[in-house]
Amino acid sequence: MAIAISRGLSAARQIYNERGLRVRELRKGGKKIVGYVCIYPPVEMFTALGLVPFRIFGDMNEPITAADRVSTTVVCPFLRSIIDLGIKGRFNFLDGIVGAHTCDIGASLIIQWRDYVEDAPFTHLIDVPHTDHAAAVDYFEGQLNSFKRHLEEFAEEQLTDEKLKNSIVLHNRQRSLVRDLYELRKEDPPLLDSVENLEVLVAISSLPADEGNKLLQEVIDEVKDRKRKPPVRKARLMIWGPVFDNTSLYRLIESTDAHVVVDDTCVGTRAFWADIKTPYNMHSLAQHYLVDIKCPRTYRQAEPAETRRDYLRDLESRFGYIKKAITDWGVNGVILQSVKYCDTHGYEVPNLRHYLDTLGIPSIYIEHDYSERSLATIKTRVEAFVETLD
Amino acid sequence: MSEPSAAAKTAQKRAINRLKSMHQLRNLVAQDYLETLKASNEGKPTVWAMLNYWEGDLPLKAMGLNIVYPENYSTLLAASGVAEPFLDAADSDGFPTHMCGYGRSTIGYSYRMMKQLNGQIPPEAPLGGMARPTLLLGSGIICDARFKWFQALARYFDAPEWCLEMPMMGTAEGTEPDLEEYQVRFLVRELKDFIAFLEKLLKRKMDWAKLEELTDLAIQIHETVWQIGELRKAIPCPMHSIDFWSSMPPSLFLAGDMKLALKYYRDMLAEVKERVDNKIAGINYPEKYRIVFAELPPWHSLKFFDNLAERGWNFVYESYGYHAPRPPDLSKVTDPLEKIARLSRNFVFGIHPYAKAEGVANPIVETYLLIARGWKADGFFLHPLISCRAASAGLRAVQDQLQKRLDVPSLWVEGDIIDKRVFNPQETLARAEAFEQTMDHYKKVRKAKGLDW
Repeated sequence: MAIAISRGLSAARQIYNERGLRVRELRKGGKKIVGYVCIYPPVEMFTALGLVPFRIFGDMNEPITAADRVSTTVVCPFLRSIIDLGIKGRFNFLDGIVGAHTCDIGASLIIQWRDYVEDAPFTHLIDVPHTDHAAAVDYFEGQLNSFKRHLEEFAEEQLTDEKLKNSIVLHNRQRSLVRDLYELRKEDPPLLDSVENLEVLVAISSLPADEGNKLLQEVIDEVKDRKRKPPVRKARLMIWGPVFDNTSLYRLIESTDAHVVVDDTCVGTRAFWADIKTPYNMHSLAQHYLVDIKCPRTYRQAEPAETRRDYLRDLESRFGYIKKAITDWGVNGVILQSVKYCDTHGYEVPNLRHYLDTLGIPSIYIEHDYSERSLATIKTRVEAFVETLD
Repeated sequence: MSEPSAAAKTAQKRAINRLKSMHQLRNLVAQDYLETLKASNEGKPTVWAMLNYWEGDLPLKAMGLNIVYPENYSTLLAASGVAEPFLDAADSDGFPTHMCGYGRSTIGYSYRMMKQLNGQIPPEAPLGGMARPTLLLGSGIICDARFKWFQALARYFDAPEWCLEMPMMGTAEGTEPDLEEYQVRFLVRELKDFIAFLEKLLKRKMDWAKLEELTDLAIQIHETVWQIGELRKAIPCPMHSIDFWSSMPPSLFLAGDMKLALKYYRDMLAEVKERVDNKIAGINYPEKYRIVFAELPPWHSLKFFDNLAERGWNFVYESYGYHAPRPPDLSKVTDPLEKIARLSRNFVFGIHPYAKAEGVANPIVETYLLIARGWKADGFFLHPLISCRAASAGLRAVQDQLQKRLDVPSLWVEGDIIDKRVFNPQETLARAEAFEQTMDHYKKVRKAKGLDW
């Protein structure tokens, strides 16, 4: 890849700092670049048709101005930032944008895009059911088939079973490599810090899957060969919450006596914990995205159609995967972070904190407005929290 | 603001010309709360349900269950002036303060009931309170809060929960003609599973004859309420938004006895028709400005509308998500579940095929453009809520497109459905007076451009 003046972590940082660099180049070479919001649009379908998936993020350092004409201030500032950047032409290298009904505001972003953003003329909004009911999975599969037809028209190519299968293999490989990347942080001290980790994850979401996989392998090899180890710190933290696409929060935390060793966020592990299962087809895509991805936007129960709810069993069924991560990565504290006005995560906070209490894991909840300035006030709280950890 | 004198209060009450038929509809809701309390005391199952556009209401009612709607009850808490301590209770239990006001007041109510009063109803609760639920019916319709806040209630209640599904429509993808049948099949399948769950929970079978009877009543209620809404296009508008909000629960939630509700809505239709025939307005002042309210009102400050009525502001339409659009023809549908699926789907999204001609992608915007034309709005009162994304997110675009496409200006007033601390009636009134000049100006602009109002 032409931009890889450097390799591994240096390349990741370069792409993190200038996300459109590689895809602009690919576009000049005739590739179509399709942006997507959140982790629910199945990128496997893009790749299978030769389209380059490019995950759309906001910009914490760009004041929201243009979006004020189309969006009220009491909605997710991350999504407001995206529409703001869209109106300002920041995504003029995109040929299309795909969103999903992951939350109300996430869905409305695509709708606003259609009325207010001139770039990326191809748009599609995938309806995602709210539950993991069997009927909902089948309905979602139908939604994906509808999307498939639309995407085929756009790509002027048929999405065959073979192409889909090959693409799923490629993206499952990416999931596996990301899990390998996180393995490097199980050691104490972790071999890779959370800032570097986020730079890599943002970088691979800005590259075609095969190039992302190559970068991941380079990073893993590079980190394993490192001679210098970071200092041991008091706290090994997990970060939970919705999208956080900027290294600033991780820098802030890592400036205290703490390492962030794992996360449950939608730029971090959520898209990568589980592979798409065989047989590889549209149904397995639907199953993966609706059921296997663990995001609070989907309503889950301990048992389908249970006629008696047991609170602790309910918590276990919803958050048990977090317990496993806490154990595997030796976590001794959890920071729940959320962008303000995120309903799906906000309702989760007291119950998740209660669950963590049952595990004996201390936690704090911090809220921000998706600006670096708002993080400044958080540092004291993080420092105080870390102080309390054993 | 100093307290108005008794004479002034009387004068304020008279500013809006209330429909007589509204009162009996409003009373049906109170009966539901009382009957649910009675059922609970007798050990019968009771339900807390989210607004679900009849998808769940009809099966529940056919199973003979007593239902209350916490989001409706939250409006009562706000209107009774007792909401704030419940909001504070939710905050103290760790829920972020920017969450839905309905959700936070329900959570606070549940916290108080289960954590402070050992399962007893808070004595300060109006209308006797909401009985402790034995079933929670969440819903994915319209907003994320509707399923997340009930899920969060597991913290207080061991009641099982079902979450209803509804496809997202109104978008370009959701209105493709071939998708309708596919969506209906999904809803029918969901309804079958929901009924199987109810039968398992209650250990009795669905009364299918009752379900059909209630569904037919719902269709007639739908038809009647839609006709009332259409009559409000008349000049002057015969029914003020306050009367719509007061009378909507028996159509929106199917509250109360449905046979009575149908009779009362027919009474209302007759009263509204009589007003149209005699050019009687919904306010007792000359109708000077025809206003559309978007989206949810400040339930704690409804008297504020009297002040505007005195200035000739007649609120001719409101809260489009609460209005049943034109009813579908279901005469050839024999499967009761398919009938419910189509009816419910139409309630939520039936307006959009008509609104598509407005030429914007945003379903909220296109609907309000359609309403502005149909009800000949001079201005919009836009009320973004600090605690509600669904009712607020699209309002800036509504404001922008109304101005751009129809030269209809908007008054932008921030507030909340429950928390009266964030609404300033004095300041709003001052701004409303200034806004009249803007409406006067754009009335001339529209005329000059050949628009007919």
